[in-house]
Amino acid sequence: MSEACSAANIVQLEVFPSRLLKPETAQSLLNAIADVDGIIRLFVHGPRLPQTVPYGPATGLPVQHSGNKVIEVAGQTIELSVYVGSIRIEVADVDVKEQVREVCETILTMPFEFRVGHFIPTRQTVTDYAKRGPGADPMMIGMTDPKGKLKDNPVCILKPDDIPNDME
Amino acid sequence: MAYELQYYPGATSVAENRRKHMSGKVEKLREISDDDLTLVLGHRAPGSDYPSTHPPLAEMGEPECSVREMVEPTPGAKAGDRVRYVQFVDSMYNGPSVPYFRSYAASINFRGVDPGTLSGRQVVEARERDMEEIAKFQMETEMTCPALASLRGATVHGHSLRLPEDGVMFDMLDRCRREGDVIIMHKDQVGRPIDKKVNLGKPMSAEEAAKRTTIYRVDNVAFRDDAEVIEWVHRVFDQRTTYGFKPEN
Repeated sequence: MSEACSAANIVQLEVFPSRLLKPETAQSLLNAIADVDGIIRLFVHGPRLPQTVPYGPATGLPVQHSGNKVIEVAGQTIELSVYVGSIRIEVADVDVKEQVREVCETILTMPFEFRVGHFIPTRQTVTDYAKRGPGADPMMIGMTDPKGKLKDNPVCILKPDDIPNDME
Repeated sequence: MAYELQYYPGATSVAENRRKHMSGKVEKLREISDDDLTLVLGHRAPGSDYPSTHPPLAEMGEPECSVREMVEPTPGAKAGDRVRYVQFVDSMYNGPSVPYFRSYAASINFRGVDPGTLSGRQVVEARERDMEEIAKFQMETEMTCPALASLRGATVHGHSLRLPEDGVMFDMLDRCRREGDVIIMHKDQVGRPIDKKVNLGKPMSAEEAAKRTTIYRVDNVAFRDDAEVIEWVHRVFDQRTTYGFKPEN
């Protein structure tokens, strides 16, 4: 996490590789991105990997998908419950954007799209309000699965020491 | 001169492949044993008899009927087999077949089949041994690439997703995996673990898949490149509109 930054300069990015990423590649990429100074928050997006078979005659049997692994990013362990398809990142300014692009070019062996846009919600939805109440931390908006339960989708704080006091 | 069926218009490789699938004149690329096929289909134990829903037709004493006399029953119907299904999913990334052409292939070349065509998957219902014949035909020939098409009885999600890094179409139940240079299936088509790993053969290379695909794609052979196909599609839509138009109403 970066130091307190001006909201006017904040840029949101999406890294969209042409292939879905293996957990190992995702781990290297996330670690490299987490090392860049000026990353405010990010989340990984992709098709969900269920723990058990959801439909059909095999309903309830364990899946044990090879993509469902525990990865380590910036010293924190994270259980990947999706096959990583894209990474959406909020960065402090455009300089950081170029650093992230360089990291992606180094790590990813396949072509990828690198987009600037609006990918993470900035205002609470009715669902967010119902879940978190009026005093919710604005940094947490849009960071969890809107259909999931909060306790099942904890937000991982990668570098707790970097959080400015006014945001804690 | 005997009339030769034309099946599909067009001069591109995609049109040619569509004609091949419809006519059934496809190249055999791999071998899958009967026991392996039975394992991955998951309808009965390998080597066991086919369960039946009625006695063999010869023992039933059928009523007198000119149609029954005229139409030879399929081996599955003759033996009284259960109706069972096989379902394929094809990747949009140059998968060798598409649901429509799997259905055409089944309807034109096999009897006693009930193909179901959906956007991302294609199911064929038939008497069990007839269904196995179709499944084997499709899995052993160029209609299937083990990486870009797979047997999925339930949870078919994956045909429109980007391919994972290893090139094997995403499957959230992880039924197929790449092991070395071959694709193995270690679960049956609905996701139940099976006793042994079934070798489905080598996947097609990207170039071979692009050559054998029946999908028009802008990054391979674009639909608009095939003038004859466009002409016939326009003709079909034009005539459908004309014949559906009733000014007196």
